[in-house]
Order: sequence, then structure tokens, then C-alpha cells
Amino acid sequence: MLESANGYYFNEYGRNNIQPDMILVEKDYWISGEDGSAKGQFLDLRQNGHVLKLPRLILLATNMSDDEFDKAKAAGFSDTVIMKPLRASMIAACLQQVLSVGMKKQAGKDAPNEPRVPIKSLLSGKKILVVDDNMVNRRVAAGALKKFGANVECADSGGTALKLLQIPHSFDACFMDIQMPEMDGFEATRRIRKMESQVNEQQMVNGGSTIDGTAKKSEWHMPILAMTADVIHATYEECLKCGMDGYVSKPFEEENLYQAVAKFFQSKPKPVSDS
Amino acid sequence: MDRNHLLRQVAYMKNSLFDQGYLDREQFTQLEELQDDANPNFVEEIVTLYYNDSARLIQNMEQTLVNRPIDFVRLEEILHQFKGSSSSIGAKKVNDACTQLREYCSAENTEGCSRTLQLVKQEHAVLRTRLETYFQMVREAG
Repeated sequence: MLESANGYYFNEYGRNNIQPDMILVEKDYWISGEDGSAKGQFLDLRQNGHVLKLPRLILLATNMSDDEFDKAKAAGFSDTVIMKPLRASMIAACLQQVLSVGMKKQAGKDAPNEPRVPIKSLLSGKKILVVDDNMVNRRVAAGALKKFGANVECADSGGTALKLLQIPHSFDACFMDIQMPEMDGFEATRRIRKMESQVNEQQMVNGGSTIDGTAKKSEWHMPILAMTADVIHATYEECLKCGMDGYVSKPFEEENLYQAVAKFFQSKPKPVSDS
Repeated sequence: MDRNHLLRQVAYMKNSLFDQGYLDREQFTQLEELQDDANPNFVEEIVTLYYNDSARLIQNMEQTLVNRPIDFVRLEEILHQFKGSSSSIGAKKVNDACTQLREYCSAENTEGCSRTLQLVKQEHAVLRTRLETYFQMVREAG
């Protein structure tokens, strides 16, 4: 990570062909426009024909008015905003959103000046499986999700989770602890995905009818989110590789949870199922 | 004692727990935020659950240090569980002691493990007393 106190040093990056992947900019500095050259430079870097990859631009702010946000967006500047004081979990969630590779950017993507669907209604009536070998953690996770309106069930191991997730099941999402004895979260997820792809293939072969002849559920893919207390070591790539859809840090906090679940539950009609 | 006075006592106690490093402010506050009319005693319930569960884990850890040969792998597994719960309630000093224990465990240092396990037990007990008093006050304040 490189730091810059002003725009001049920043320009050196471009000259020396050091392309940052991501640039965090303090809002007050940018918007004050004192070092007028900086504004232009940021934009140049982005629009410069020599730039091989566009760095993500993230604005850090202690407060942000709608006007300021509009200005930032209009300048083609901000991919997203992180509120200060910085919290590890918030940064993780934000980075996750910004860096999502191959993940569909959901329609109605969250922005401070757009009306947000409150988390209570996002999770209301959703059936969620919490998988964690630790009793206290299960209770805390369940408490958080229930507060946000979800209908929660718990499993104390990957093995138990697999039993509960035999298809067809009626769960809308799963929060999975990564570090568990016997079968860790990655392995459990791999097996769930395997199960799903087998059923999906079968459904295609059968020309669209399901195992038990009821109305076809559109292709099985349950959102699985990793839960980790250790955001640094739980690599995002590892989660994606085994088929997870994202992660949240433990214990849950609203912002973190919102970012993670908004992807899946925002104005998506529930597929027809017999649950 | 009037209610406002009691509420101030509660706040004072809580801040002491944070300032003196017994509880992690952010962690504990997040737990409190989960408390509402539907779950009015959520935090106390979680803490009670923690103490019931962790007492058992401490006993198990002590047992591993009594057996011969010492199964350091098993000890680390139990410790991982224990640390996981302690983190969830924000038990800071307990956690710090756990970190020390884990290092001695990795090094397979028997004497170091025994010593730091005692420290873990101690911090665990001290926090328990402080929290019992705290929740008592919370109940009195209504």
C-alpha cells in the first residue's frame, strides 16, 4: 500500500507505470479542490489510454451530503464510499462489493442517495440456516438474523448441514462458519454445490420436471455466505473457489450483513416451490 | 435509589469494564444492539450460555494437561472453541490469555501451558464476577 499526501506524488505513479489496483481518497481533500491538479490527475489516470487496468476509486468520508455524493459520482470518481471511522468489517464488505469478479452487480445497487430497502424487510420471512460448531456463536448469529426478520435454523456441523440441505429443501440462504472440525465450511460448500449441480443436470435431462414431479424450481443455487471472525486470513478467493457467494464477519453488524444479503434478496420474486 | 441513578450506575459499570480492558467495547455493544423488546435479556442469556459452555471447555483443557502423553493437538482444538466464544462476547483479557496459551501449546511447552491455562481460568473467573454484578444492576435499574 502506498500513501500520498498530495497530488504531485500521485502523478509519479503514472509516470513510473505503477498502477494501483485501488485508490482510497479522503473526501475533504478531494472536494476542497485546494490542490486543483489532483482532481484532474485522478481522472486522467482513469481515462488515460495507457492505463491497462482501471483502479477502483474509493472515497473515505466522515460525512457526506447528497450534493457531495452527486458531485463525486458525476466526476466519474467514486466507485463507492466508505464512512469513517474505518471499521475492518465495513472495509471488508465494501472491498467485497467493489472487487466482485464475475458477480452480477445487482439492479438497484446500493448508493447513499437511493432509497434503501430496510434490512428488516430484506430478510423477513426468509429461512436461513446457520452452521457453526460453536454454541455461543450460533446463538449470536441466530439472534442477529432473527432481529432482521429471518426464520432461523441452526446446525452444529458441516455434516448436519448437508443432511438439512438435501434437495428439495426450503432454505433461502446459509451462513457457514469456515473453521469447523471434521468438515470445514469450504468442504461443506463444495459438497452442497456438487449436490446442486447433480440435481440441476438431472432436471435438464428430465426436460424440466423435478424429482417428485412438482412444479420445477429454477436451477438450484442457494446463497452461501461464509462467516469468519478472521477477515484477514479467510481469503476471498478461497471462498469463491469452493462456491461461496460472499462472506460476513462475526459477530454480525447491520451494515456488513446488509451488503452481503442485498445481493440475493433485493426484489427477487421467490421461485415457485412446494415449501 | 431512583431509576436515573441506577441507570447511571449501569453506564458507569459498563464503561469501567471497557476502560479496564475486561470487555471489548465494540463487540459487547454489538451484542447489546441485538437486544430489543422481543429479546429483552439477550445479552445476559448469551453470557450465561458462554459461562456454562466455557466451564466445560476449561475442564477439558485441564484434563489434556493431566494425561500422558499430552495431546497438544487436542488442547489446541478445545482452545480454539473456547477462544471463539470468548471473542463473541468480547472477553478481552480472557482472549489475551488464550493467545498466550496458544503459543505455548504450539511450542508444546507443558509448563508454559499449565501456567497460562491458570491465567485463563483466573481472567475467566474475574470477568464472571464483574458481569454478574453488572447484570444484577441492570435488573435493578429495570
